[in-house]
Amino acid sequence: MSETVAGFHEHETEHAAPAEPPRGWRRLTAPGWLRVLWVTPLFFGIGAGLVVLIRWLEGWHPLWDGAVITTVELTTVPFGLLVGLGGFDYWYRYASGARTVPEDHSGHGARSWRDYFRINTDHKVIGIQYLVTTIVFFVIAGLLAMFMRAELARPGMQYVDNQTFNGLFSVHAALMIFLFVIPAFAGIGNYVIPLMIGAPDMAFPRLNALSFWLLPIAGVMMVSSFLAPGGPFAAGWTGYAPLSSTHQPIGAVFFNMGVQWAGASSIMTALNFLVTIITMRAPGMTFWRMPLLVWANFTTSLLVVIATPFIAGSQFFVMFDHIMHTDFFNEVAGGYPLGYQHIFWFYSHPAVYIMMLPGFGIASEVISVMARKPIFGYRLMALSLMAILVLGFSVWAHHMFVAGMAPWLRVPMMVTSMVIAVPTGIKVFSWLATLWDGRIHFETPMLFALGFVSMFVIGGLSGIYLAAVPIDIHTSDTYFVVAHIHYVLFGGSLFTIFAGIYFWFPKMTGRMYNEALGKLHFWLTFIGFNLTFFPMHYLGIQGMPRRVADYAPRFADLNLFISIASFGLGASTVVFVYNMITSWRFGAKAPANPWRSMTLEWQVSSPPPIFNFDEIPQVVGTPYEYGVPGARHGVFNGDRVQEEEEVHA
Amino acid sequence: MRRGSIVQLVVLGILFGAGAAAVALLIPWLPDPASKQADRIDFVFWFVTAICIAIFALVAAVIVYAIFNFRAGPDDDEDGPPTHGNTSLEIVWTAVPAALVTAISIVSAVVLTQNEHLPSASASVSRAAQSSGTGLCKPRDADPLQPLVVCVVAQQYAWLFQYPAYRNATSATLRLPIDTTVQLQLQSRDVIHSFWVPEFGQKQDAVPGLLTKLVITPNRLGTFPVICTELCGLGHALMRSQTTVESKDEFLKWARSRGKGAAAGGGASAAAKTFVDNGCDGCHTFKPAGAKGTIGPDLDKLTEAAQKAGQPLEEFIRQSIVDPNAYIAPGYPKGVMPETFSSLPKQQLDALVTYLAGGSQ
Repeated sequence: MSETVAGFHEHETEHAAPAEPPRGWRRLTAPGWLRVLWVTPLFFGIGAGLVVLIRWLEGWHPLWDGAVITTVELTTVPFGLLVGLGGFDYWYRYASGARTVPEDHSGHGARSWRDYFRINTDHKVIGIQYLVTTIVFFVIAGLLAMFMRAELARPGMQYVDNQTFNGLFSVHAALMIFLFVIPAFAGIGNYVIPLMIGAPDMAFPRLNALSFWLLPIAGVMMVSSFLAPGGPFAAGWTGYAPLSSTHQPIGAVFFNMGVQWAGASSIMTALNFLVTIITMRAPGMTFWRMPLLVWANFTTSLLVVIATPFIAGSQFFVMFDHIMHTDFFNEVAGGYPLGYQHIFWFYSHPAVYIMMLPGFGIASEVISVMARKPIFGYRLMALSLMAILVLGFSVWAHHMFVAGMAPWLRVPMMVTSMVIAVPTGIKVFSWLATLWDGRIHFETPMLFALGFVSMFVIGGLSGIYLAAVPIDIHTSDTYFVVAHIHYVLFGGSLFTIFAGIYFWFPKMTGRMYNEALGKLHFWLTFIGFNLTFFPMHYLGIQGMPRRVADYAPRFADLNLFISIASFGLGASTVVFVYNMITSWRFGAKAPANPWRSMTLEWQVSSPPPIFNFDEIPQVVGTPYEYGVPGARHGVFNGDRVQEEEEVHA
Repeated sequence: MRRGSIVQLVVLGILFGAGAAAVALLIPWLPDPASKQADRIDFVFWFVTAICIAIFALVAAVIVYAIFNFRAGPDDDEDGPPTHGNTSLEIVWTAVPAALVTAISIVSAVVLTQNEHLPSASASVSRAAQSSGTGLCKPRDADPLQPLVVCVVAQQYAWLFQYPAYRNATSATLRLPIDTTVQLQLQSRDVIHSFWVPEFGQKQDAVPGLLTKLVITPNRLGTFPVICTELCGLGHALMRSQTTVESKDEFLKWARSRGKGAAAGGGASAAAKTFVDNGCDGCHTFKPAGAKGTIGPDLDKLTEAAQKAGQPLEEFIRQSIVDPNAYIAPGYPKGVMPETFSSLPKQQLDALVTYLAGGSQ
């Protein structure tokens, strides 16, 4: 290991000599926050000026129309920020025919905390940027949920008015989905996948940096909708037209545009993953030797690039109806409100798998390593991911059984939704079989992985109820659905995100997290989660609709119970954040491979060298050969790194 | 696998199965059904629940068994046996779930067909009416109770129920005869709403520009809540009404007298009809009309309210109807009362104002 560390320092001097910091007025034109300070107002002026100019030329009054200006600025101001940061500098020179600056890799790696606040092309830095940003938005969205539960603790209205309440759950869901679950998986993937496949970085590092910086833009946009006149968007994250198109304040546009920025980020990252996985695998890394997390991100990325344009379209249509008075969903002018739902769910059902499959990958890694056994039925595990990918596009209308769509469509959609339980079941049973006869180590990542399997089974079973049309007719749009999606997205996605963060924390930070606090976090989360969400099944079946600030008095006791439990669940996050911050600063130094894993990212130092591998690994076997004497996944030239470790062990 | 371990696993499975069954049976999960459709939905619910309990018991037993039996010791650095898979096991856990979900699909599809079945003669009539008509809700000539057609008009944030077979008798609450198949034909005036009565088990969205349909056969007397379940704006949580299931005789008596009231005209009774036809009684209490709604302010106390607002009574009433957000009574949320009443014909509006002003003195 000492040799690897030495290699790390070598790289630092060899490739990444920090360029001379610009002096004097050049600091204003060099990419960075100083340039942001004047370029962003410039772009604001361009946007506003264009609007006023066009309105003046056309003779429209008033010249200064707040709604139109806001809509345009939600495009131009973020571009100002990105230009100021330097996201387009290289491409601008290239496109304009100027001489491109030879790559000195000074944008690679992080030497101080400041390096996390600029355009950085190192996938490991970007991965951490992603994770920290998404956790910030996770906390904000969680606080919004706490407000909601405070209001719901008693029937009647106490703290907020109806419009604000509708805004609370709309922004809560939008942030959790677009700014937490999806990008948190992208962040973990960003950090781990190039390492796992033996690549020095992602295929398109500059695109990678840009796609990260779109994310805080989308998040700030959605949160700041609370400041918009008339309040935030309040039509739910599903934003059904015509409520979302013609009955919303200007805050709705912040959601429409926020989704565009987050969606663009998602698509760019997915393209990057696809090209990286297809073209940059180390020698010997055939598809059937890829770790399941790589498989999972491969299928997820396919889902993203195919499906995400649909939600972009649906939100543009809604925004056009709202601002430009088009009539996509205005039935009076021949629009078709159900059209919105079809387009929206054609993205948003696959999005459920975008939010699940990477979690499946993480669970597979953690369970195999910590049970010290090969993953059971590796090929079937990979194939079931592909099956979910294909089937995932054929089930969208199961969200619309009571929506008034063509009645014949219901039974076929029910059948495909039921069939998707089969590949999902294969995965669950294979994880159980992997546990069987293993030597199970119950560190925090494993607790979260097992918590995921058990909670996801409950979420999957309540999904069967919702797929069966007659039961769905009774339960759709009730708290039963709220319970179901939280068992799937909290019990499923969030548990695997936590598992992944704890699992790769030593690799990312070079330090160990606090195991006792990690376990405390798990148990608080697991118990608080079940106490909060399980009773919601009952509320929904009994007759409590979702998305209401006020409810029948007979549900008061159970709602109070849920609210108290949810505050406990919220408090568990404090333990997590405290553990992350203190361990990152003061935790014990992490060895290269604390979990004794076979995959490639653990065969280099923690944290890895700036360019990941001092020498390109040669992949010689599958990644989960635990218990097979002498088995190797990857070998390095002369096996020096591994021998080092054996000496240390 | 050792014999002892099989016994342990089976015991765990039975324990978890019994626990889950106890949760399923001891908690009254389903609302007390009040329609034939709800009875059938309950059957599907229990069918699915039985399967789910079995799967849950299996998974939970294996996880808990593994946690206790395959725990590694503190310094145990050994690996487990390198089992890579087992083809026959993999075939089993692909085939068995496939068979189970197929069974659930078939049961669901059958129940769905039964739940939407309309008595055959009338079904053809309603088809004919639909193909010849504008697609909007219409009265029918055949026996009005086979099936009874009720037009449901949803708007922010109120329900209105019309009975086309009874001269468009209108009500803010839904009254239904027992043991009679009812077809609701739903329309919306603004955004998407959804009609749900938990005890009926049936739900359907009302979509602007579409006529959607829902079949209900009530089979239990009583009064049940009508709930909007599709987020429809800031008054969504308040968009509630009631449905009353009564005997056929009672229903016919009520429907016919309502229908007659429609034909009569002039004076207070015309204003009373305007009051009811527009669903005011769904949200407001007003003794002269027998209205008992509690979502909006009590109209028996209009005089006091006008004083509080500092306006002359009649002017206050008129303004509150045509521009409901101009003054909001303390304790009530803004923006909940529909603004569509400003389109009432002047004659009707004048009569309504006089009627309300008279009633509150």
